[in-house]
Amino acid sequence: MIQLGPIDYAVISQALIASAREMGVKLIRSAYSTILREARDGSAGLMDRFGNTVAQAELIPMQLGPIGETLRACLRRHPVETLEEGDFLINNDPFEGGQHIPDVFIFTPIFVAGRVVGFGASVAHHLDLGGGAPGLNIHASDVYQEGLRFPPSKYDFQRDWNGGSFERLVTANVRVPDLTIGDFNAQFAANAIGVMRVKQLCERYGTDKVEAAMKDMQDYSERRVRAAIALAPKGTFYGEDAVDDDGLTDEPLVVKAKVTISEDSVEIDFEGTCAQVKRNLNCPYSSTLSAALSCVKSVLTSPDIPYNEGMARPITIKVPYGSLLNPRPPAPVRARMIPAYRVFNAVMKALAQALPDKVIATGFDCTTAFCLSHLGEKGYSVYLEIFGGGYGASRGTDGCDAVDSPLSNCSNAPVESLDIDYDFFRIVGYELAPDSFGLGARRGGAGFTRHCEILRDDVQLAIYSDRFRLAPQGLLGGEPGQRGYCRVHRANGTVEELRSKAAIDLAKGDIVEMFVGGGAGFGRVEERPDAMIDRDLADGLLTRDPRAARKLAAE
Amino acid sequence: MRVGVEVGGTFTDLVAVEGGRIVVTKVPSTPRSPDVGAFAALTASGIDLSRIKDLGHGSTVATNAVLERKGAAVAFIATQGFRDLLFMQRHDRRNIYDLFYAKPAPPVRRKDCFETPERLRADGSVETPLDEAAIRAKLIPALKAGDYRAVAICLLNAYANPDHEQRLAALITEALPGVLVTCSHQVAREFREFERASTTLLSAYVQPVIDGYLHRFEAKLADAGFTGRFTVMQSNGGRLPAEAMRQSAITALYSGPAAGVVGATRQAARSGYKDLITFDMGGTSTDVCLVQDGRPSLASESEIDGLPIRTPVLDIVSVGAGGGSIAWVDDGGMLRVGPQSAGADPGPACYGKGGIEPATTDAHIVIGTIRPGAFLGGRMTLDGEAARLAFEPIAARFGLGIEQAASSALQLADANIVRAIQLVSTERGRDPRDYALVPFGGAGPLHAARIAEELGISTIVVPPNAGVISAYGLVASDYTKFDAVTRKMKLDDAAAAEAGKTFAEMRARLAAQFADMKLPGDLDYIHTLEMRFVGQAFEVGVEIPPDRLGSLDGAYLSGLFADAHHRTFMHGATLDRAVEIVTLRVGATLPIGTVPRLDREKLAGRAPGQAKIFHDEAWLDCARYTAEALAPGQKIIGPAVIEGYTATTWVPPGWTAELDPADNLILRRSA
Repeated sequence: MIQLGPIDYAVISQALIASAREMGVKLIRSAYSTILREARDGSAGLMDRFGNTVAQAELIPMQLGPIGETLRACLRRHPVETLEEGDFLINNDPFEGGQHIPDVFIFTPIFVAGRVVGFGASVAHHLDLGGGAPGLNIHASDVYQEGLRFPPSKYDFQRDWNGGSFERLVTANVRVPDLTIGDFNAQFAANAIGVMRVKQLCERYGTDKVEAAMKDMQDYSERRVRAAIALAPKGTFYGEDAVDDDGLTDEPLVVKAKVTISEDSVEIDFEGTCAQVKRNLNCPYSSTLSAALSCVKSVLTSPDIPYNEGMARPITIKVPYGSLLNPRPPAPVRARMIPAYRVFNAVMKALAQALPDKVIATGFDCTTAFCLSHLGEKGYSVYLEIFGGGYGASRGTDGCDAVDSPLSNCSNAPVESLDIDYDFFRIVGYELAPDSFGLGARRGGAGFTRHCEILRDDVQLAIYSDRFRLAPQGLLGGEPGQRGYCRVHRANGTVEELRSKAAIDLAKGDIVEMFVGGGAGFGRVEERPDAMIDRDLADGLLTRDPRAARKLAAE
Repeated sequence: MRVGVEVGGTFTDLVAVEGGRIVVTKVPSTPRSPDVGAFAALTASGIDLSRIKDLGHGSTVATNAVLERKGAAVAFIATQGFRDLLFMQRHDRRNIYDLFYAKPAPPVRRKDCFETPERLRADGSVETPLDEAAIRAKLIPALKAGDYRAVAICLLNAYANPDHEQRLAALITEALPGVLVTCSHQVAREFREFERASTTLLSAYVQPVIDGYLHRFEAKLADAGFTGRFTVMQSNGGRLPAEAMRQSAITALYSGPAAGVVGATRQAARSGYKDLITFDMGGTSTDVCLVQDGRPSLASESEIDGLPIRTPVLDIVSVGAGGGSIAWVDDGGMLRVGPQSAGADPGPACYGKGGIEPATTDAHIVIGTIRPGAFLGGRMTLDGEAARLAFEPIAARFGLGIEQAASSALQLADANIVRAIQLVSTERGRDPRDYALVPFGGAGPLHAARIAEELGISTIVVPPNAGVISAYGLVASDYTKFDAVTRKMKLDDAAAAEAGKTFAEMRARLAAQFADMKLPGDLDYIHTLEMRFVGQAFEVGVEIPPDRLGSLDGAYLSGLFADAHHRTFMHGATLDRAVEIVTLRVGATLPIGTVPRLDREKLAGRAPGQAKIFHDEAWLDCARYTAEALAPGQKIIGPAVIEGYTATTWVPPGWTAELDPADNLILRRSA
């Protein structure tokens, strides 16, 4: 392999990153479903010919982390030498490098002079891929009930898509084919853009230089991560957190992490984590890996280090097979984000002991999937939105208010766009929740409440969430954040409290109140500056003065 | 006489044009009170104010009011249940791995946000009527108690029906005379409540500041005997009379870069070039814009300090590559340039003001394109040795010569600008090779040729006085106002006809506004339909040719849309999918008539000097010309350096340069 000069390297690597970013922007902007176009639950990137991630559009951390794993599973079955121009690879298999069924990964090989130099990659969360219920089947007891599974496989775009057999197979098995096929097309187009940009770079600088840059970029990230690890205190640290329950019993699902920081590498062992469960809270290996990597990257390195395969090299993880974090097939995995967040939290708690200035306290840290569906005369109408909550506080900053949680980055759909698109519900309230955060020298971010009025009979609600039972814990004396809840205010005045994983039928006039809590505090509230307390009191985010109790005690 | 006064961050530029004569003046800006600097420029130019017919002004007053949080005390009112609209934002993060992330902070506190019972549906019909009793009983007393100077109102779905906002505004004005009330339907009649609310809030926030500033400015002008027309530049590339600007303050943000694009466009058009990529390379950043057929591209949204603004602006992309951008090596060993800048103080190492980090300007000195004794026409002497010293660590790190290190830094700065240009061209489906490159700003013409080579561009148009193009743009720009309205309808023949009708209404409204502004004359209109495939969330704007306005049909429009969609997204042209119209947009422009000439100051013939330039790994001997002494038609063969009063042009080997009758320096790449 040739040696690249500093200029060629800088120019080509930045161009590859710019191409990945362009792919991501165009994936979102030409998408159809609210989950992809408004919530932006999709990602894109460029890979080298060996299946390593080179550059990514920074959209959803969870999807980005293990794209390499997902592609390599395809390449094991369809080696790179056997691919032909016009082929694409597809995979959403949770037990072969994928994450959960809705996240479909598509890879388009980039051919230059008859040889594959890399892949354009994209992933999108698809609104509905069939399965036992529209959008989200919370009762699934195995992966078959969660929707259409694409094992790592290869198709020809011209022959099998665009009216071809594979496209018709997908169309026939999903509830909102117009949106789903549209979103697949947006993925293919995003890949095509990446393919075109890499070809242009190869033309301009030569294929060997582009491939050398792809390799150097990974080495570069690896060097920077190792440099950051070298500065961290060495030793073994333990962290633990838990999912509320599996949706059937009241038993918490414990996640344990043992983090060992050595000279220039980090090992994370999840030994002691609970066994896999009967409902969809299992976390496939790829997702566990992604959550752990995201945490280490966020804590140890500055945000400008490009996320690629090299980033992951200094970090090894061990996950017992058959556990919650590496389940045996055919375990259902739809809500894998929830255990993935506990992975993030457990690793963060371990790192907090080594690097208290670089971590944040536990946030609400949960993906709340909120899905309403209605079967009308014109077919299914499915609405799915993802809610975060409040971030945990740090040594120097309050947690971010009302934002998607760290492993994800979904936007909200504008209320006005929901008013245009859906006639069976209406959002009637969307507000910050006072007192929802844990106080401390720095407070957690505030959570929020959404009120949703149902406008027709026979509407289904399905949710999965967490932290309805176990609140996020503070650091160094910080107070816990509030727990979440979901309530249905029936038209007749009764109120029904839902579990964090639930499905329920709704009727016209019902109002659903969804509350996601805030993050935990950092440090003792006695150390919180008066000005910050006064500000929150004046803004109505805090309704009780924490100094009042202190004064009382002093008297 | 026409005069443009552009207040920038560091310098205030003045261009005065009368007949064939041009006066250029540069004075330091006075950031605390920009009008002081503006008047200092007028004084320094020695112009008699009573002789000025047309005074165009651009300033950073509105921009700074937001960035420095010095706007008015403002209250925000939303539909009940949505008081936190401005804090919720879009629930996303700009940096996904930043644990300490904070959202962009709107210039309003939560305690100053209120709500009112009411709700409209998406079609504008009323779900819950406006509760006037509650407004009188609760909201108005709360507003009175808050002592606000301005109120911003954004109610859900008000874009579809402004009644509730209008009624609420009337009630507030009645109870609190003197408080300025801004409604979302006046500022941006488009859906997406957060973006509209943010635009409305920012507008209300800067309006009193702009109002006060222009008031002071006009009073000073009147005292000095000025009787001409006083106009203010907007971010959309057109001007408005100062009086009208007071009601449209939000369009005053970022007017400086827009003025530059207009100035460059106008000057290039004199030489017959109308498809352009302009790039304005200043001290800290470079602004890039694509111009199609003499008209700069527009974007329907921009942002300030992370907050969205939903009004049309020139589609300008900015990158942190300027004369002050610093070259550095990151902790992974990669050479980088910018976005950190040495600024004006301490400035690049060669300024001799204590800067030791190597900046782009230092690199030019090292490779010989800038002469330490001839910077800014000799008004500033630079320290060549300091520039070389600054590059030593980078040279040592990579085992390069000092010249090679400097040259590498320049190549990286160029690469950053190339990416910005790709963003406005290739990424929007335009091939940069179809465009002429128009560099301006102090450093633009030095970098143009290499950037053109990277992009395959073969023609460069260097305007005269490249350092004061923005000020020139102020007197060369037209009067412009935009109107937009969201009216979602599935595209068919009836919808196309409806669009034609709505366009006519919008034109009539704009014509009335121009009449109100006492700007008579025939208006030029640009009609844009923002459309998407049914189900999509983002629209693609399609301009409607004027000759088709009277005969719009569904098939024609969906064809236009599918082509535009395919150009950007590489799919769509063959899709058999329904299309919908989302937003209609009309721009009205009153042309200013004769565009003033921007000529170069002339000097008597002067023999070229010698220069040694480090280029492509070797020192080249070449000629050094003085721009003011060039004769029209004189052909210069690269390598050569052409020094001007406000900017220097580098003509590398393989390029020729020639001064044309419009006084533009045209660089062509030899075949």
